[in-house]
Amino acid sequence: MATLQSTAPPDTDRPADRPIVRRKRTVLQRLRHDWPLLLLALPVVAHLSVFHYWPTAWNIIAFMDYSPYRPFWENPFVGFAWFERLFADPYFAPALANTLKFAALNLLCMFPLSVALALAMNSIISVKVRSTFQSIVYLPHFFSWVLVVTVFVQVLGADGLVSNWIMAGGGERLDFTSNPETFTFLVWMQWAWKDAGWGMIIFLAALSSINPSLYEAAASDGANRWRRMWHITLPGIRPVIILLLILQIGGILSVGFEQYQLQRQAVGFQATEVLDTYVYYQSIVGGQGESFGTAAGLFKGVIGLILILVANKIAHRLGEQGIYQKS
Amino acid sequence: MTAIDVKPRRRSARPVWDEEPSFIGKAVKALFLICYGAAIVLPLWAVVATSVASEEALSRAGGNLLILPTEVSFQAYQEIFSGGALTDSLILTTVLTIAGTAISMVLTICGAYALSRTGSLLHRPILWFILLTFLFGPGMFPSFLVVQKLGLFNSYWALILPGAVGTFNIIILRAFFMNSIPGELLDAAKMDGAGEFRTLFTIVLPMSKAILAVIALFYAVGYWNMYFQAVLYTPGLETQPIQVVLQRMLMSTQGLPEGAQAAAQYRDQGEAAPTAALKMAVVVCTIIPIVLMYPFIQKHFTKAVITGAVKG
Repeated sequence: MATLQSTAPPDTDRPADRPIVRRKRTVLQRLRHDWPLLLLALPVVAHLSVFHYWPTAWNIIAFMDYSPYRPFWENPFVGFAWFERLFADPYFAPALANTLKFAALNLLCMFPLSVALALAMNSIISVKVRSTFQSIVYLPHFFSWVLVVTVFVQVLGADGLVSNWIMAGGGERLDFTSNPETFTFLVWMQWAWKDAGWGMIIFLAALSSINPSLYEAAASDGANRWRRMWHITLPGIRPVIILLLILQIGGILSVGFEQYQLQRQAVGFQATEVLDTYVYYQSIVGGQGESFGTAAGLFKGVIGLILILVANKIAHRLGEQGIYQKS
Repeated sequence: MTAIDVKPRRRSARPVWDEEPSFIGKAVKALFLICYGAAIVLPLWAVVATSVASEEALSRAGGNLLILPTEVSFQAYQEIFSGGALTDSLILTTVLTIAGTAISMVLTICGAYALSRTGSLLHRPILWFILLTFLFGPGMFPSFLVVQKLGLFNSYWALILPGAVGTFNIIILRAFFMNSIPGELLDAAKMDGAGEFRTLFTIVLPMSKAILAVIALFYAVGYWNMYFQAVLYTPGLETQPIQVVLQRMLMSTQGLPEGAQAAAQYRDQGEAAPTAALKMAVVVCTIIPIVLMYPFIQKHFTKAVITGAVKG
């Protein structure tokens, strides 16, 4: 407890050769000393209690036959009945499958793109070109999904720019933003447009933290460009890649809500339904009831929790840092 | 030997040991980067060009333009700022952004400072209380239920309060307080008799202006872009945040059942369905604040993101 020592009042009349005697202070003494810090922490604790932990506790209604029209304690417990109903729901499995499909797409197609961008960017030597290019590719990350979808409809939609060009050239109308068959590709393009540049930042930072003398030593030992990339660059950014992979795997069931909800009308619900939109349309818009929606959300939360713990464990096994460490 | 610093002049900053890449390698890389950059810039340019086109120019071009029209018309922008529903929505979104950012910043600063003093009473439990929120989300429906129970449903507070604390931001700011503000300085302040509040306001905050500004801008962008919360918590309000308005406009011009419905809604209110120029002008209006903040974010955010990622 080195920190306790630093907050203790310095005793000046202590002979130099006598060791410091650390007195254990009582809770009351610490309270008298630390009350301003507790006061400062109070708003955040209160906020999280109300808007995070209280709703988390409400998840218990997933195991009850909940009705808002009777007192809480009169709701009977029904065990896993709602989960059984959830898994039997014909719309649930497709929603889960879509979610996993988009998550896998994100994992497989976004990482390489961001890493490739970072590598290409890192090799631009002119500072001016580099910073201009960086400002361009980060920008769409700060746009809302509404804006991204609107821009995509404007450019690739049935009456969009590209469609107009094709028709002016005698081709057929291109209907890219309302076609369920190409929706997966559209989602990927929207991701790439919005977030690939943002994903690149962290790799760029990792690249810049690699000691340049390693490259010099490798070059003087005769390693060419590709070998330097394989043996220095990629191992250098490996911890970052693993960290991001863990975060991605933990969030695998949270592929987002807005992007799918916004394109649901145009593309149809079969192609766009993911778990979050499923919960929204089944329980908040539709009439499946409170307990059902909560059960669907709880399923998602628990799987996410398990995935993040497992991924972190694997990272530790691989000798990487992961997101948290056993202390 | 003074002749040592006579070197052949190098045109670039490429290190001496690095061989010049082949022409093909350079060309492939340049092509990749240029295509990627163009894919981002050209659609945005098309949006701007369409927003300043007159109706005739638009109908001649089939609804959208890539080149600036010969006669530039700011009719769409006049319509936005003429005091109708769009003006209200922009004002509302601005107010929400400012108020929300202020509330979020107060909560974040207080929490981060309290947690940066390790060893204080209850420090570890409070830290865990915050960190655990990363592992498990309460779920959409229970959150909705709590908002309802608090009486915030269809209230503007529901757009600010539930998401007011970004726990990730607290952790970033805490790491900054702990790593970048010298402990000696805090000790000296304490010796001079400054309490915690005074230390926070006169020493810690002035030394963290840059990172505070970045976090504030991230919050502001979040509030400005808010869509989901409005759909979920405040569907019944007459004046909606600008993103919701933009979404309705988008629907009304897509020829779908939902679109027809939205178009009928506009008809009922005695308004014409939005033209492409108007829609794109709204897009430009939602982009402009972000582009204005952007240079500042860009200057500092890399550092903030890395501090959070590495030391969080």
